[in-house]
Order: sequence, then structure tokens, then C-alpha cells
Amino acid sequence: MNPTLFPWMIAVPLGVSPFVYLAGRLGSRKVELNGRSLFVRILALLTMLATWVLFALSWMEFTSQKSSLLFHLDAIWLSADGISFLLAAMVLSLGTFVVLFSGPYIAGEVGEEKYYAMLLAMVGIMVGLGSARDLFNLWMWFEAMAVSSYLLVAFYRERSASLEAGIKYLVQSAIGSVLVLLGVALVLGNIGTLDMDAIRSMAAATSSARLPLLLAGALFVIGFGVKVAFVPLHTWLPDAHSQAPSGISAMLSGVVIEAGLIAMLRAISTLGGFSISWGTLLLFFGALNMFFGNLLALRQTQIKRMLAYSSLSHIGYILIGIGIALFNGNPAGAQGAVFHLFNHMVMKGLAFLAVGAMMFGILDKNGIHRPLEMNDLAGAARKYPLEALTLSIALLALGGLPPLSGFMSKWQIFVAGFQGAEPWLMGLVIFAALNSVLSLAYYAPVVNIMYRRNMGEIVQRGAAIPVAMRIPLIIFALAIVIIGLIPSLMNWLTSPAAQALLVMFGK
Amino acid sequence: MTAILIGLVIGLPWLGAIVLWLTRDEDPRLQHTLAVGFSLAAGCASLALIPFSSAETAVRIPMGRFFGDLTFTADGLAVTLTAIACVVGSLAVVFSVDYMHGEEQLKRYYAFVLLFIGAMTGLLLSGNLLFMFFFWEITALCSYALISFYNDDPKAVAGGIKALIITQVGGVGLLAGALTTYAALGSYQVADLLAKAEEIPAGLLTVIAFGFLLAAAAKSAQFPFHTWLPDAMEAPTPISALIHAATMVNAGVYLLARFYPAFESVSGWAFSVMLVGLISAFITAVMALVATDLKRALAYSTVSQLGYMVYAIGAGGVLASQFHLLSHAVFKALLFLAAGSVIHSVGTRDMRRMGGLGSKMPFVRNVFIIGALALAGVPILNGFWSKELILEVGLEHSPIWAYGLMLLGAGLTAFYTFRMVWLVFFGTGRDQLHIHSAGLAMKAALGILAVGTFVTWLSFGNLNGLLSSTLPFHEIEHESLLEMMGMVISAPATWLALLVVAIGIVISWIRMRGFKFFGGGWLDPLVESSFGFDTLNRIITMGVQKLAGQLSLTQTGILSWNVVGILGAFLAVLVFLIWSA
Repeated sequence: MNPTLFPWMIAVPLGVSPFVYLAGRLGSRKVELNGRSLFVRILALLTMLATWVLFALSWMEFTSQKSSLLFHLDAIWLSADGISFLLAAMVLSLGTFVVLFSGPYIAGEVGEEKYYAMLLAMVGIMVGLGSARDLFNLWMWFEAMAVSSYLLVAFYRERSASLEAGIKYLVQSAIGSVLVLLGVALVLGNIGTLDMDAIRSMAAATSSARLPLLLAGALFVIGFGVKVAFVPLHTWLPDAHSQAPSGISAMLSGVVIEAGLIAMLRAISTLGGFSISWGTLLLFFGALNMFFGNLLALRQTQIKRMLAYSSLSHIGYILIGIGIALFNGNPAGAQGAVFHLFNHMVMKGLAFLAVGAMMFGILDKNGIHRPLEMNDLAGAARKYPLEALTLSIALLALGGLPPLSGFMSKWQIFVAGFQGAEPWLMGLVIFAALNSVLSLAYYAPVVNIMYRRNMGEIVQRGAAIPVAMRIPLIIFALAIVIIGLIPSLMNWLTSPAAQALLVMFGK
Repeated sequence: MTAILIGLVIGLPWLGAIVLWLTRDEDPRLQHTLAVGFSLAAGCASLALIPFSSAETAVRIPMGRFFGDLTFTADGLAVTLTAIACVVGSLAVVFSVDYMHGEEQLKRYYAFVLLFIGAMTGLLLSGNLLFMFFFWEITALCSYALISFYNDDPKAVAGGIKALIITQVGGVGLLAGALTTYAALGSYQVADLLAKAEEIPAGLLTVIAFGFLLAAAAKSAQFPFHTWLPDAMEAPTPISALIHAATMVNAGVYLLARFYPAFESVSGWAFSVMLVGLISAFITAVMALVATDLKRALAYSTVSQLGYMVYAIGAGGVLASQFHLLSHAVFKALLFLAAGSVIHSVGTRDMRRMGGLGSKMPFVRNVFIIGALALAGVPILNGFWSKELILEVGLEHSPIWAYGLMLLGAGLTAFYTFRMVWLVFFGTGRDQLHIHSAGLAMKAALGILAVGTFVTWLSFGNLNGLLSSTLPFHEIEHESLLEMMGMVISAPATWLALLVVAIGIVISWIRMRGFKFFGGGWLDPLVESSFGFDTLNRIITMGVQKLAGQLSLTQTGILSWNVVGILGAFLAVLVFLIWSA
């Protein structure tokens, strides 16, 4: 086994994180506040870029080796497969731009240095989460991710709504974590090992301990499901996503819930040989999520809450893709789901960042601290043409309009549903397509409001938006359009991930 | 060569849309010029494409495993409609130069018009169901954006969203059909579906056939989806002429005509198509009888005429339907644009406030009457020949009661058409309206369309030749113009239809004398609610809203309940796993 660079992708952001904090905290008092904050920002950004270099190098190792990269930190073994790389790519893409975006957004807030420190830590932890090989470490990374995100959700610690969201998130996540831990204990007690590959082969052979393993399966689904926001475990999500700073909302919605999903799939796949119909279960939750997410989003007036509920429905589409893949072993379903996982990161990341940028200009800069209402954006397209255009692209892509990327991945999922011509599966896909139509009923009005000619008074007073916040918007919007036009562009990343997913479930 | 022309008719408008979007706001002259230039160029390219039409696939670009090959086929059906879309499109753009003069956000307007033209031609020329769906959705998006162009007006916004959602529901039908085709044949190619329809299991073919019918009905505003088109009249009038009369709404008819040979054998399909067309044609003709808004009256009439085309397809008359589609595109664009110049001049759409405008705007009156005569089906205008052909097909291939209703519909058409003419242009002015004269660009567009109304039927032989030689599955017989004329003139049904039309016109003239055109009748409430279907729409919308409201009660915000949710779900999953294992 050759030494690999993959662990450095975990170590670099995690290792730099405390230095970012210390630099921000202790850095020379003589330097002006702005200079210190600039140093922190640049350090964080450079760390992300360095991690990208590591990503490229370890990707080359991965492709030349043509199998998972194995490595260990002392006695703990980790391995990087297609899914690990997918998660790493998602975390790094969004993380880099969130760091860039947050520069002006967070500048001058109390605890700015903590923000970057936690963000970097979260990035490293999520890369680690994707490469865990045994159940206990999977839980460890998962818990660490939760801890780093609590503080970010409750970043505005002097605002009661923000604290309330943080507490709800904390309590519900903690319950989930406990359930997962119980599940891990049950598996260890009955199988005698924590290594996921070993459990996979042994669980299939076990016939005596069915019930405890089923119980463990349920514990995994629900425990991780809290973080993935399965309905009805989702109740923390709208508060957390809407109260967090916009960059963090993007991270939560774009990668954290997806990381939870990956953790769940890893955990339940170990019990896959055990003739459990995971496919059906995921399809059921998929349908439930789409339906609830869409209907709840329909009545929202706060735009970030609306986006939060829309995340529920998009998790639904992803679950349906994975469910189809597990149900009839169709690789198209897995590839579609993985592709949608990636696209959702881009679309929802862009949506939250664009909303955040306008919120920054319209509300924060004018010293107003309240959630952004849809009507606040009246006529915003004239004052903020770039932000409005990119938000429109993101929303229409989320609604699944061709030729944007969101349509392409939904299409792949729908195709997978029709292959095999299973009537109820076809019905489910049509239900999903109708849900997609319904979603336009809340995306389209936002676009309309922004392009109104009569500018709201609050928009007129809006402040200019710095370049650092606009660059991420341009790049993500271009990505949505280009991936939509040439969907095969992402195959290099999604194919190995889909492959790994199917291998995990022994399909 | 074909490939280059196809690239041009799709690419030129899209390039134009991008260029326009990038222009500065302060330069409306440049925007008008660019829009006219690009749309005229596309129009020329589309006309140049006609001689190159063939059943062969002209362009094939491999797109990977999930999407099949992107193919374009310029057969007779596609090139005819492409030419209509591009030519009427460029005339609508020329008309807009005057109509939209001085409006704000012109580049948004023109960019969407050009985007629409490109998407429409893509939809018509596409030989791949996935990409057809793709272009289908883009046209819906453009339609929505343009209906809501005046987006400070809540009615315009509501109309746009209504159109978007209803056509999207139809889009789900197309999606389901395309996916089922893929599941059954492993291919998205239109040609494969037509060639191998018999190989598809009957159940799946039924899903495809009715999925496409759903899509077509929603797009062409046919029963029971006829409610969105009247509300779409909030769009600027050139848009109503282009998208909601001459092109996009034809996409449904095109879809049915394109796949008729594949679905012909599906039991009940042809009859359902006929029924959809019949009901739409008839009820919207009734609604047009009492409409007081000029544009809404024209919109009802559009649905009604589209109903005639759909009816013809159901009765097996693909050729008749396409012939009427051509005539209708020309005369309805003419009527809409003429109505647009009236509305532009007087600043209202309410016919109750008009009257006696004919002497003040004689040119517009003349061209409107030409359009009206064609719509009513008076010889020798294009609408006469094509409507007679449809009735001919109906008489031969549909039940006699259906034919009777369609005949009655022709009388109603003549009545409401001339009711519009009398109300707007004749009699005495009922309101003091300030009148601006129509501009040169408007007159140019109207003039060309008026000439078209006189002459497009002369191309019957060419159209027939194109369709019969390039559509291998449709089995359309070749018939020359003279043969068609001889058949129409010698058929007794023609004289019967003319009699009905004449009665319609006479009744409208008699009633005009007594000014008994407005309101108070028992029809009004029925029409107000689109025969109850608007109410149905509202019930569905309200129901969804209410459900959403009730569901939001589940988001209590109380932590204890959240935890209950988690534990409850845990028990449910556990039970499921134990039960299923």
C-alpha cells in the first residue's frame, strides 16, 4: 500500500483551524481591526486552496490505483472511495466560496475568527466523515460535524431567534446521535466487530440475531435521519437554515444534510445483505419529503425558510433516486441521485448565497436585523441585477426547468424510475414530476417580485454589494448553466460515486 | 446545408437573445434594430429550409448514455411550422417596434421573444423526445415570462403563473410519455417511436398516447385546460399574436399530428382526441359570444379554432389540421395585431367602450375585416378552404352529431367574429376615446399578414406535397390545389356550411342594429367561470393552499413535539423493518 495524500485533506483544514482562531484572537493588537480580519480571511482562503491541491493530487492517485485509497491514523483505518471524493469535492467547492463570500458578510461581527475556525474545522471533518471505515468512527466524525455546526448556527448569539434555532438543532441532533450510538453498540454486541466491510459479510451470514440488527437498522435510519431531515424528523431544519448566517445556511443545506445522508447510507449498507428492503423505505421517505417540503414551502413568506423547506423536497428526489437503485439495482438511479446530490449543492448554495448577498445589502447594511421577506425584494433586479439574475437561475434550476442542471439530474432519476416499467414506480415518478411542477408555484413568484419595475423603498436604500460576495454567485450560476447544457461534464465525479454506492449495497 | 440551416433557425434567435440581454438599457433604438435583424434573419433561414425538407435525420449529435442522440429532422411537418413560427415571429417583432415604443425593459421583452422563437423551432425540428420536452419547457418558460411582462400588475403575474403551472402539468404528460417510450424501446428517437409502435406492449403504448394527449391539451389550451389562455391575454399584444395564437399553442396540435400514426391503433385514443377538440371548439365559441374584452374574445376564438384542428386529427385528417393551422396562424396573428393597434390607439381592451372606430382608423378596420372574414370561413380567404376541409373530414370520419356540432360551431364563429367587427369599428362611439394612429412598422406587419390571408391557401399543393413525401408513416395522399378546390366546391357540405356562416353573420348584423350585445344573459356566469373549469382550478389551488396551511401546523416550533416526531418515526420504521424482513 502506498502512502496517500488523502488524509492531508482532513488534516490541513483541521490543523489550520486553531491557528485561524488564535491569529484572530491574539494577533498583534497594534494592527487595525480590519487588517486582522483580513489576515484571518486570507489564511482561511489559502487553506481551502491548499486543500484543493491535495484533492487534485489524491484524485490522481485514486484514478491510477483504480480502487479505494486505504490509509490509517495510528490504529484507525480510513478509506477513500468514489463517495468520499464526491463528498470532498462538494465540501471543498462550497466551502471555498462560502469563505470568500463570508469575508464582507461577517466582517466586524463579534467572533469573526471563530466563524472561520469552525468553518475550516467543519470542512476537514466532513472530508473525514466520507472516508470512515468503521461504524464508531463514522459516528465520531458525524458528531464532530454536528458540534462544529451548532456554533455556526447560533453564531448571532445575542439574537434570541438564532439561539432558539441553535438549541433546537442541538437537542434534536443529540437525540439522533444517541440513537446512532445505540445502534452501533447493538451491532458491536451482536456481530463483534465495527469494521463496516466485515459487518457486511458477517451480517449476511448471521441468522440468530435478526431482531437486534433490525433494531440497529431502525436506529441508524432515524438517528442519521434527523440530520438528513427526513420528514417528520425535519423540524429543526427551517429554524436552523433561516437563522444561521447565509454562508452557513448554504453549507447546512448544500453539504451538511448530504453528509448525513452519506453517513446513513454507509451505516445501513452494512446491514444490506440482511434482506432488508432499504429501497422501499427510502422511496417512502422520499415521497413524504417531497410532498411535505413542497407544501410547507408554498406558504412561506420568508425567503430563507422557503429555501429550507425546498431542501426537504430535494432530499426527497435524491432519496427516490437511491431508492430506485436499491429497489431494482438500477445504476441509473444511483447515478441520477448522486448527480442530484451534487447539483443540489450548487443550486441551493447559490440560492442561499444570492439571498444572503441581497439581505446583506438591503437589511444588514442598513442595520436592520430581521429575516428577509419575499416582498422586500420588490424591484431588486434593477438595483442588484447580478444577484437577482443568479438567484433566478438558482430557483428555476431548483424548480427543474431545462436546460439547467437541476433538470438534468431529476431527469436521470425519472428515467431510472421508468426503466423496468414497474407501474407503482412509474406512478411515484409522476408524483415526483407533479411535485416539481408544484414547486414552481413558490419559485416563480420570487423571480417575478425581483423583476418588478416598482422598486420597494427598502431596496432603494440598499447598499452596494462587495465583489468578494459576487464572485461565488457568478461561478455557481455558470456552473448551473454549463452542467445543464453538458451534463456529462460531471461524470468523472458522479460515476465512481454511484459505483461505490452500488458496491456498498452489494448490487 | 440542411444542418447549417437548422443551426441557423435555432441559433440565430438564441444568439440574438443573448446579444440583446447584454445591451445597455439606455439604447432602445439599438434594441429594436437588433431584435428585428435577428428575427428577420431567422425568418429567412426558415423559408430557405423548406426546399431542403426530407424524412432523413439531418443532424445527429451523440449526447451520452442518458440522453440518447440529439437529432434534428426537417420533414414537411416540421419545416412548415418552423416557417410559420419564424415568419410570424419576425412580423410580431416588427410590429413591436411601434407597439412597445417607449416601454421600459425592452431588452427583457425582446430577449424572451427571441428565446421563444429559437425554442419553438427547436421543439418542431427535434427528432429526440427528450430534447423535444426540453424545448417544450423553454417555450412554456418564455410564455410565462412574457405574460407576466408587466409584472407590477397582479393580474399579469397571476395569469403568467397560471399558464406556467397548467402547461407544466401537461409537460408531465409529455415527460411520462417520453420516459415510457424509453423504457419500452430503449430510445428517445421520434422516428423509432413511429416505426416500432406495434412492438410496444399495449398498456405502455396507451400510457404514451394519453400522456401526449394530456400534454397537447394543456399546451393548446384544450378542454379541460382551456382556462389559462384567456388569462394569458394580459401579455403585450404582439405576444398574444405570436405565442398565444400563431405558434406555441400550435405545439399541442403538432404533437398529436406528429404521433398520430403511432397511436391510431390505441383503443379510444382517436375518439378522445376528437372529443377534446369538439368540446373545446364548441364551448369556447359559446364563450366568445358574450365576451366583452376584445383580446379575450380573440383568445376564446383561438381555443375554438385549435379545437377544430384537434378534432380533425381525431378524425384522421392530419393534412386538414395542418392546413387549418397554417391559415389560422396567419389570420389570427393578423386579427391579434390589428386588435393590438386598436388597443394601442385607444388605450382600452373593453369593447363596450369602443365603437365607430372604423372611420378613424380605416386601414386597421380593413385588415381586421379581412382577418374576420377568414376566421368566419368566407370564400375565398384561407380560412374558408381549410375549415371546409376539416368539416369534410369530420363528415366522413366522425359521428354525425359531432359533425353537426362542429357545423353549428362554424355558425357561432361567424356570429362572434362579426359581433367584434360591429362593436369595435361600426356604430357610434360609446365613449370619448383619444386615438393615436398606427405607426409604419405596425402597418407593414399588418399589410403582409393581410396579403397572406388572401394567398396562403394557394400553397395547398406544396404543403400537401411536402407532407406526403416526407412523412413515411402518415400515409397522406397527394392531391393538387385544383383537385382540392374542385372537391370543396362540388361538395354539398360546403354549401351547407356557407349557409350556416351566412346565418351567423346576418344574425350578428340584426342584433347589432338593436345593440343587444351586452350582458345580463344566463350565459354570463357560465362564461365567467369558463363553464365551471375556472372554479375547478380555483378549488384545486385553494385546496392545495389550505392543505399547505394545515400542514404548517405540524411545524409547531415546540421542541417537545419535535422529539415526539423523532421517536414516533423511529417506532414506525422499526415496525416496518420487522414486518418486511
